[in-house]
Amino acid sequence: MENRGTSDIEVFFKPRSIAVVGASPTPGRLGYVVIQRLLNRYKRERIYPVNPKYGEVLGLKCYRSVEEIPEPLDLAVILVPAPMVPGVVEACVRKGVRGIIIISGGFAETGPEGARLEERVREAIRGTGTRVIGPNCIGVLDLHGGMDTFFLPEEKMMRPPPGEIAIISQSGALLSAMLDWAAYMGIGVSKAVSYGNKVDVDDVDMLQYLAQDPETRVIVVYVEGLKPGRGKAFIETVRRVVREKPVIVLKGGRTARGAVAAISHTAALAGSYKVFRAALRQAGAIEAADVVDVFDLAKALTMQPPARGNRVAVITNAGGPGVMATDALESLGLRVPLFSEELQARLREMFPPFYSVKNPVDVTGGGSNEDYRRAIEVVVRSGEVDALLVVALIHPPGFDAGLADIIANTTRGTGLPVVAMSFGGGETSVLRRKLEKSGIPVYETVERAARALWALYRYGRVLGVAR
Amino acid sequence: MSVDRIIERAVSEGRRKLHEHEAMAVLREYGLPVPEVALARSPEEAVEAARRIGFPVVLKIVSPSIVHKSDVGGVVLGLETEEQVAEAYTRILSSVEKHVPDAEIVGVLVQKMVPKGLEVIVGATRDPIFDAVVMFGLGGIFVEVLKDVSFRVTPVSREEAYEMLSEIKASRLLDGYRGMPPRDKEALVDIIVKVSRLMDEVKEIRELDMNPVMSYDKGAAVADARIIVGGRS
Repeated sequence: MENRGTSDIEVFFKPRSIAVVGASPTPGRLGYVVIQRLLNRYKRERIYPVNPKYGEVLGLKCYRSVEEIPEPLDLAVILVPAPMVPGVVEACVRKGVRGIIIISGGFAETGPEGARLEERVREAIRGTGTRVIGPNCIGVLDLHGGMDTFFLPEEKMMRPPPGEIAIISQSGALLSAMLDWAAYMGIGVSKAVSYGNKVDVDDVDMLQYLAQDPETRVIVVYVEGLKPGRGKAFIETVRRVVREKPVIVLKGGRTARGAVAAISHTAALAGSYKVFRAALRQAGAIEAADVVDVFDLAKALTMQPPARGNRVAVITNAGGPGVMATDALESLGLRVPLFSEELQARLREMFPPFYSVKNPVDVTGGGSNEDYRRAIEVVVRSGEVDALLVVALIHPPGFDAGLADIIANTTRGTGLPVVAMSFGGGETSVLRRKLEKSGIPVYETVERAARALWALYRYGRVLGVAR
Repeated sequence: MSVDRIIERAVSEGRRKLHEHEAMAVLREYGLPVPEVALARSPEEAVEAARRIGFPVVLKIVSPSIVHKSDVGGVVLGLETEEQVAEAYTRILSSVEKHVPDAEIVGVLVQKMVPKGLEVIVGATRDPIFDAVVMFGLGGIFVEVLKDVSFRVTPVSREEAYEMLSEIKASRLLDGYRGMPPRDKEALVDIIVKVSRLMDEVKEIRELDMNPVMSYDKGAAVADARIIVGGRS
């Protein structure tokens, strides 16, 4: 696999001119929707519909082929049926197009005939400067004002607000659902890429590019498989990237492939997922359990600093969730250490005797916002913990949404990562919004909050700042 | 004989599995703690080898036709005298003859008996995506039933090798348990790192098993080794 660097990837996100091959004047058709979406973002004179059947599409002059377009072309989006694609790619190469996104399916995923077409595409760009994303993909989305080749209309797939999480995905369908959900949850995204069959541009290329992308702070990768022999390059790339920003990986296809006719024990035990997990660990990537976990972890990693150790203080106003938080943290390899006699004495001095001060600190349902303030102030200065998990159930009379500011103010500038768990509707939703606005991620279960802290600790380990 | 020569010869004879004395020689070349071995083709040669190597010794059948040596009476442990060695040689051959009448017999391996220790397994294979990967686990039921093993993609650093030891569920056994001493982790890490280097340098090796490796409070010793070379498995 030749490596042609990352500067040539930029063209997919910020092209100056775009041809849409397979343009259609019929509303609802792919060749219509893509142009319609591009018109929202680009000047009319930057977009060139291509289709020999039509003279005009959406009021734009339609060309017979890319080579007929009078201006230089940065990018071509190809929507035509698979058998026609190699010819179009060859024309694009002759035209000097720098980037091609092949949305069309019908390639290696369908059998040997499709695989031959894919090989012709690979052949057409070999030794040229033209890069290809796809085929069999939905392309790219740049939420900071660039490209959008996602052909799904807004009402089907809402676009998330511009944010700091980049997502690259082998599955276009999963990516669309993730983006729609992120939009619904108000989670910001920087860039999203579906690269389908990876005839050229793959995970390694995209990771290298996103590592240098100033709009991205956390990279999420959904991957089912890597290209044969590309594993070590993947590890090396992730290893470099994680020094700049965290990489969260969601792996599809985890069941063992089974080592057919393996002669040795080792080969029989080396299911592909086990090896993949080991590789992720070696690379310093953070493995997510499912799509919800992806955003849980990404949220924590964009909002909070990495943890410098695994000692967590739990501050709660409810006994049960405090115990459950302790269980969840300990089972993830984090610790909820008993506070020193000295620290316990300091807390005991300020609270009624029935508050628990050992860690978890439980200010009980009879307590107040103010109790959280005093407890957190003492605990963050103790030097006995590396992170905080705050359980905030504001249903009893002494608490309200004002607790959000107290948690934010008492933890700001301490360098300790903080996550919160809050559960309920009503005023709780106000609290949750205020907390996240102040940069404190909130989760609906202590288990999810514990996972978030685990990710912050893992990233601290990866960076070498954690003990 | 050099590693290349050993592998070349196996391939030219159409063998994918190295004979055990060949596997041991390859491992020795890479600094792994393998016992002294010699191939004998008669009771006299076996006695002669045992005398040179020093007692106690183990005798094992060397035959490409036999996968599980002990199932066919092909292994005799703890031989202390020349008489026992000569007798064991004949016993092995007749037992193998009875179980696998037309087995191709290369000879009998005379191997210095390694003391009993905590049994671990160190292996390596080639993954289609990541190429060489190294595996570590505790021997016996831990690997066979519980599949309690850890993997790393090569090249494996010493730090990663230590992680492999601590990652398995039974790792506490390495720290000493119920009066058993803590094991020499440095020696196990050494084995893992050397296997990683072997796999990266000798691309012809497809699979490798050292099962068991005896782990002691000081040092470790490879008791049994298997190396598969050539095309994809």
